[in-house]
Amino acid sequence: MKQLSLMIDLSRCIGCKTCIVACRNFHGLVDYEAALPNEIPFYLRVESKREGVYPEISVNSWVVPCQHCKNALCVKACKSDAITKDPDTGIVRINKEKCSGEKDCIEACPYGVIQFNKQENYAHKCDLCFDLIHAGGTPVCVETCMTDAISFGEKQTLRQQAKDEGKEILKKMSAQSILYVHN
Amino acid sequence: MKKNGWIPTVCYQCKAECAIMVRVEDGCIKEVRGNPKARGKACVKGMAGISLEYNKDRLTQPLKRIGKRGEGKFKPVSWDEALEIITDKLKALKDRGEAHKLTASFFPHSITDPKWRFLNAYGGFINTALPHCDSAKIISCIKTMGGVPNHHIPPAWYTVPKDGIMILAGRHAFGGLDDASVPVHILDAKERGAKLVVIDPIFTADAAKADWWIPIKPAGDTAFFLGMIHHIITNNLYNKKFVDNWVREGDFDKLKNYIEDKTPKAMSKICDVPAADIKKLATECAKAPSVGVDSFKGIMLGQALDFGHAWTIFLAVTGNIDNPGGQPLPDLTPMASVEPVPAGPDLYELGWHRTGKDKDSFSNYSFIMEPTWYQAQAIKNGDLKVLINSEANPALTEMGQKEWCDAVCMAGDNDEYKLELLVSYEIMLSETSKYADLVLPDKSYFERWELLYMPWFYNFETGILLRQPVVEAPGECRHSNNVFIELGKRLVPEYFTFKDDLEYYDIQLAGLGLSVKKLQDMGGLWSTRTMGFRKYEQSGGFGTPSGKLHLYWEDLEGVNQAMPRSGLAQEYEVDIDKYPFVLISYRTIFHSGAGQWTHNNPQLRDTVSGFFDNPALINKSVATKLNIKDGDNITITSRTGQIKCKAKLTERIRPDCIGLAHGFGSTVGTTATIGQGVNDNILIPDAGSTLNWQDLVGGESHVSTRVRIEK
Repeated sequence: MKQLSLMIDLSRCIGCKTCIVACRNFHGLVDYEAALPNEIPFYLRVESKREGVYPEISVNSWVVPCQHCKNALCVKACKSDAITKDPDTGIVRINKEKCSGEKDCIEACPYGVIQFNKQENYAHKCDLCFDLIHAGGTPVCVETCMTDAISFGEKQTLRQQAKDEGKEILKKMSAQSILYVHN
Repeated sequence: MKKNGWIPTVCYQCKAECAIMVRVEDGCIKEVRGNPKARGKACVKGMAGISLEYNKDRLTQPLKRIGKRGEGKFKPVSWDEALEIITDKLKALKDRGEAHKLTASFFPHSITDPKWRFLNAYGGFINTALPHCDSAKIISCIKTMGGVPNHHIPPAWYTVPKDGIMILAGRHAFGGLDDASVPVHILDAKERGAKLVVIDPIFTADAAKADWWIPIKPAGDTAFFLGMIHHIITNNLYNKKFVDNWVREGDFDKLKNYIEDKTPKAMSKICDVPAADIKKLATECAKAPSVGVDSFKGIMLGQALDFGHAWTIFLAVTGNIDNPGGQPLPDLTPMASVEPVPAGPDLYELGWHRTGKDKDSFSNYSFIMEPTWYQAQAIKNGDLKVLINSEANPALTEMGQKEWCDAVCMAGDNDEYKLELLVSYEIMLSETSKYADLVLPDKSYFERWELLYMPWFYNFETGILLRQPVVEAPGECRHSNNVFIELGKRLVPEYFTFKDDLEYYDIQLAGLGLSVKKLQDMGGLWSTRTMGFRKYEQSGGFGTPSGKLHLYWEDLEGVNQAMPRSGLAQEYEVDIDKYPFVLISYRTIFHSGAGQWTHNNPQLRDTVSGFFDNPALINKSVATKLNIKDGDNITITSRTGQIKCKAKLTERIRPDCIGLAHGFGSTVGTTATIGQGVNDNILIPDAGSTLNWQDLVGGESHVSTRVRIEK
C-alpha cells in the first residue's frame, strides 16, 4: 500500500493554531486586505476534548486536516470526477479545473474539511502540500508546528515510528489515513 | 528595489521578538517561519503578521485632532506641521524647567533604543509596562542575587536535565511566550523525563500538559513557597554546600527562625493547597537535579515583592541559581556606547510616582522605571504634561482605564487640557488614539530597521538580532525611532550628532567588530552561543554588596518585609461577602495585551485560527448554584466598575475565581469591532486609589480584584 500520512501527537499538540495560519499563508487562502474573522477558508482545524471534574481534569487537543480516506466518500459523491485518490501517494485531490461547484463533496465529507470558493465556484482542501512534498519538502503544518507534534511520512513508517517511541495509536481517531497518537 | 526570497528579520507581534524568516515575492510578504539559525519557531501571531501588514486600517498619514479628546475626530496634517507642534511644546516645557514632565510610553527594543536616548537627553521619562510586569521579580533578584532577571529570563528549558522539575507558578508560558520555542523546549524536557508542575487558579494550556496541576488560591504563592522552604529546611533537605558557600553569613539562621511557624499545615490554610502536596513537591524539588521556576501572573495576583522574595529564597536553599535547569543570570552583550551618553533625569527626585502625596512612602519599593499605572494620577497631580505613546494603548491596557480616559480629558489652565499634549504613535488607530492630539503613522516591524538587544535571555541569547525592512511602508509612514532622532536633533543636538538610526547602530555594533551591513550579511543575528553556568564561581561571587546571596532584607525591617510575608494580597481579604469571587485575567497565545496588532487582526479573531471572544469562565458547580447556564448574559461588578458579558461554564477554574482573557474590548478597527469581548480593566481599580494594598507594599495585584456576578 502506498499511503502518505501525517502523525499527530496529542501529547504534544497545544492547540496553538500556528499550523492553520501557516497553511493558509502558503496556500494563498487569505485576502489580507479584505478578510474578516470567521469567513476565511482553512485546511486544518483544532479540536479538543475536555474531561473530568474540577480539580481532576484533562484537556487534549489535536488538528484535523483532510483524512485522505481509504474509500473517500467525496470521490464517490463528485459527479464531475474532479476528486481522485492519487494511486502513488494515497492523497485525495480535487481538480479545480474539473470541479463544477456542486458541493456534493462537502455534503458527503464526514470530517467537514472541504472548503468552497464562492467567487470562482470550486471546492478545495488539504492536499498534503502535494507539489511541495514532490519537490522533497514537508507539508507546511509539519514544518511550522510549534511543538513538533506533527510528523510526515509513509503511513507504515509512521506506525513503526510510533511503536518505537512507545506512543499509542488512537485507533478510533486514526480510522482513515491520518494517524493520531499519544504517550 | 523590491525584494524576493527568504529574508531573516525579527517578529514584533509581541514582546518576545522571535527571530523569523519572511518570504517576499515581488515586494509582497507571502510567508513567515521561525529562523532555524535561532530558536527556529514562530507562533500563530507571527504567522498572522501578514494580516497585520496588509490590514486596511493601517495609518498612512499624520492626523491632528479636530474634535474634543475622546471623540476621535481628525484631519490629515503634514509631517512638518506635526513635528513642529511637538517640537514647540517640548521646547516650551524644557524652557520652563519641566522637561521631566514629558513621558514617552513604549517598549524599549534595546537598552539604547533611540527613543530612550532621546528621553534621557531631553530629561523626560520612559514609561513601560515593564515595571508592571516585572518590578517585583527584578527588585527581588537585585536584592537577593544582585542580578536582574525578569519575565523574559525564565529557566532555559532546553537545559533541564532528566528528572529536573519545571514549575510554572502563575505563568502562562504557552500563552504569553518568552519565545516561540518555549513550549517545544518544555515538552522536550518532559520527554527526557523532567516533570512539569503548574501552580495556577486556572487550568491553562500549560496545565493541560503538566504532570501536576495545583489549583492554588490567587496570591497564595508566597505561602506555598514558604511552606516548601519550611519543609526543606526542617527536614535537612536543603543544599547545604551551596548555602554554606553562597548565602551571606547569618541570613540562613534568620531564615530558619522566620520559617519556624511557616509549616506546610499553616501555609496550607492560606494558599488552599493541602499540606501533603506542599511537602510532596518540596521533597521532590530538594531531590531533583534541578528546579526551574517561572512566574508572571503569580507576582501580579498579589504580594509581588513578598513572592519574589520567597521565590529567590527557594532557589537559594535548593541551589538552583545559574545552573542548568535553574534560574539563569545572563550577561549583557558588550556593545559600544554612543558618546556622549545622556544621564537621564533622576527617577528618585523627579519621577512622577514619587512626586505626589505619597512621595515618602515609596522609598521602600523602588520601581526601576516609571510605572504605567500612575499616568492618571500623575496627570491629576500636574506631574505629567506631555505624553507620547508609541506602540502602547493605555486607554485599554491601563488598570482603572476610565480614570486614565477621564484624566487625559481634564481641563487645565488657559483652555488647555491638564495633559497639554497627547501623541499616539501607532500603525493603526487604537482606543488611545481617540484621545490623542496627534496620531502619527508608524512603520510596521516588516518595514523598519532596529537593533535588538536586551538582557532577555530567551530570545536574544547573549547576542543581538537585526530587524530589517523586508517590504516598503505604505503612504507617509515613518518609524518612531527616526522621528525621535529628528526630535533629538532639534531639541538636544549635542546627543544626536550621528546621521540616522543606521549610523547610530553602527557605532554600537563596533563594540563587537560589526556593522549593520556586516550583521545583515551574517544573516541578521550574532550570539556568543553560550549562557554560562555558575558564573559567580569564576567572578568571585554575586552582584550583591557582600558577593553572597542576601536572603534577609534589612532595609525593609521597618515595614515588616525583611522576610516575605505569607498573607494573601490585602485586597483579597476584604469585602469577601460583598464580592465573593476573585477575578483573574489570563493570556492565550492568540493575543498580545490590548494591542491592535492582534485584536484588530482577522486571523487572530477568527474562531478557527484565533480567539474571537472572551466570555467569563465560571466553575460549573458554582454556576449551577447561581442558576447560570452556559452562554447566559451576566453582569460582573467590582468595587470600581461593572461589565456585562457571556458566561462560559467550565471545570477549568477554581470555584472561587472568575476568569477573563485580557486585552479585549476595543471599539476601534474593522475587525476589533466585529469581534466581541469585554475589557477586564474596567473592573480593576486605578492603582493610585489603592496604593496601600498594592505598590506601597510591593504588591502588584493590578490584573485582578474581587468581584460579584449576577445573571
